[in-house]
Amino acid sequence: MTDFKGMLAAHNISRRSFLKYCSALGAMMAVPATMTPRIAAALESDNRPPVIWMEFQSCTGDTESLLRANRPSVGELILDHLSLDYHETVMAAAGDQAEASKHATMEKFKGQYICIIEGSIPVGADGVYCTIAGQTAVDILKKVGGDAGLIIAVGSCSSYGGLPAAYPNPTGAVGVSELLPGKTVINLPGCPMNVDNLTGTIVHYLTFGSAPAMDRFGRPKFAYGKRIHDNCERRGHFDAGQYVENWGDHGHRQGWCLYKMGCKGPASFHNCPTLRWNEGLSWPVMAGHGCVGCSEPGFFDTMMPMYQRLPNVPGFGVEASALKIGGAIVGASAAVFATHGAVTMARNWKQVNQAKTETREMIKETTDAEK
Amino acid sequence: MAEISGTSVDKVEQPIECAARRYLYVWEGPVRIIHWLNFFCIIILSFTGYFIHDPFMSSAQHPYIMGHMRHIHYVTGVVFSVSILARLYWFLGDSYFASWRAIPNPFDKNNRKTFWAYIRFYTFLGKETPHLLGHNPVAFCAYTLLFLLFFLQILTGFALWAQADPYSSLYAVTGWIFGLVSNQWVRWFHFMVMFLIAGFVINHIYSIVLFDFKSKSGEISSIFSGWKPDRRD
Repeated sequence: MTDFKGMLAAHNISRRSFLKYCSALGAMMAVPATMTPRIAAALESDNRPPVIWMEFQSCTGDTESLLRANRPSVGELILDHLSLDYHETVMAAAGDQAEASKHATMEKFKGQYICIIEGSIPVGADGVYCTIAGQTAVDILKKVGGDAGLIIAVGSCSSYGGLPAAYPNPTGAVGVSELLPGKTVINLPGCPMNVDNLTGTIVHYLTFGSAPAMDRFGRPKFAYGKRIHDNCERRGHFDAGQYVENWGDHGHRQGWCLYKMGCKGPASFHNCPTLRWNEGLSWPVMAGHGCVGCSEPGFFDTMMPMYQRLPNVPGFGVEASALKIGGAIVGASAAVFATHGAVTMARNWKQVNQAKTETREMIKETTDAEK
Repeated sequence: MAEISGTSVDKVEQPIECAARRYLYVWEGPVRIIHWLNFFCIIILSFTGYFIHDPFMSSAQHPYIMGHMRHIHYVTGVVFSVSILARLYWFLGDSYFASWRAIPNPFDKNNRKTFWAYIRFYTFLGKETPHLLGHNPVAFCAYTLLFLLFFLQILTGFALWAQADPYSSLYAVTGWIFGLVSNQWVRWFHFMVMFLIAGFVINHIYSIVLFDFKSKSGEISSIFSGWKPDRRD
């Protein structure tokens, strides 16, 4: 571990920039500005716990997110500076050497190290769909996760099963928290997770020694406490009734709301609109495509069809939209009661005619009698 | 009223005798007010709700159309909830025909007989038109289902509204639903129930016209006036 101050100096990052970054992090975590010195002190201290990063059924997207830098920023240096003792994709070691390093960390920092998990864990067929060094993902997770001081599930797959858990879920993929009941698992869903939220979560842990406040799905509230829809830069167009109707139409070129194109922003909690991606450059809706709701539990299945507002009606085939089935319910109701009415009319035709005739006769007789 | 209509036709043999003798006050004021409040709420909620699902009108003349539609939807939703609560209060109160006292008892032989008489009537298996002053037992089942849908609609509606602020007390009360069902499916349910209620409306209007003319007992006018003729068959 190199000295953090020396590392900042080597990357030509001034003390001023570093403190600015610390206040920005504090703002993101919604802690008071007076906490900035504490955050800075926590980052500068030399007793930061090591990290074991494990990949199971994943596409390495979260690792990409971690490594996406085109220039090293303070955030990346913090992550670099954490001792990443085991990470299959980026570590130089391999085979027995890598396993030995992992076990050494687990023993030396038992109950302290940070365990980060990327990818879902297959539990189907006794876990044979994902094995590393002869052990199933389930066993590795229970062992490494069980002794960890902090468990972070990065990406939707490790949080809730994600894409591998989509119907029909052939491998029986599940998220981390399902396999570690009783342990606090911080979920950072997203496809992939936003690395700034990972930095924020780790810094929160380093500063306060605890996990940040989380919602009912185990997501830190500082990052997942608001709907995408409610912070969206296109929200004005939503309220004004200005919608993209077709890809590439006038509204699309004008940057109008993507609601009618199936944007799942109203159903998704994430800080994409405020934090954005790739160092604040852009995010999906800004780039002209609706949100797909990747950070919600149940993604992929509950967010499909991607370009429709609502899920289709199950059990009625692919094209059975809620509107079509709803229309059919109303139509069927109308047809049933129209038929009932027609039958009633037919059955009572004679009686009605008789009543008509008799009423007519009665009126005639009454008028005759009055005369 | 029976006497007045009787005088002019007493001289001749009345061809098809009207069964009405005198009138009874069946639906009290609050029941009728709540009924028509629900009527307007359902129309407004369905229209604005459909608009929220599919904003079909252009904004050229109205620069805040979706905002207003959602506002009307929410305000009407609150009025509707209060109306349903008031109906529940009346259901537990002093009334007879509009209260729990009128619930058909499935363990009572006569009540079961009446129920099957209505089923026979609806399915054309019997010629007789059964008559009751209050709700008929088949309609009672339909209304129970309907109020269950109302309740779920109110719950999901407030839950979806609360998503705008997960720190609100409204979300604290309703947010548990998203632990059971993903919010997209809650939204889907909230939309689909609208069609079920629309199907009920067709059923309701048809049945009431049917009974108005088959049982000749003022089904339609009673929800305006509250009075129903006391039939002696």
